[in-house]
Amino acid sequence: MIALYIVAAIAVFAAIRAIVEKNTGRKLPYANVLSFAVSGALVLLLDHPLSLVAAAAYFVGSTLESNAIASTYSGGVKR
Amino acid sequence: MIPALEAAFGFIALAGAVSAALIRDSYGKLISLGILVAGTLPFIVDRGYIDVAVTAALIAPIATIFVLMAVRREEA
Repeated sequence: MIALYIVAAIAVFAAIRAIVEKNTGRKLPYANVLSFAVSGALVLLLDHPLSLVAAAAYFVGSTLESNAIASTYSGGVKR
Repeated sequence: MIPALEAAFGFIALAGAVSAALIRDSYGKLISLGILVAGTLPFIVDRGYIDVAVTAALIAPIATIFVLMAVRREEA
């Protein structure tokens, strides 16, 4: 139970920092921390074997999203 | 769900929605949309709709990648 509170507190902190930060390059690490904390909360919320699948899917998806935004922001692949 | 956790994740979702509406920069807007999805997904899982949660978690980044294509074209 205490782990869920810690993870939720980390998620709230990361969301506030990601929103308040002005520089886009500094927003991205906090968006990543938020997605890690939320995938940890997903697996702790519900005692069901499939919640692991949901957390893994969200982990993969949010990492892909953050990296796609970061890659495009830094100029993308040079051809 | 525990009320404190409901407040925490509801705050994350609302903050993501408000900042997505207010931020002018297009990359910041996309990051705010990610925060919005991160805030809503725990509520879906808490009710037991795990298949909906898996689908939403896989479709949201694909939508972001499609919008990123439009952002790049607008910049170039």
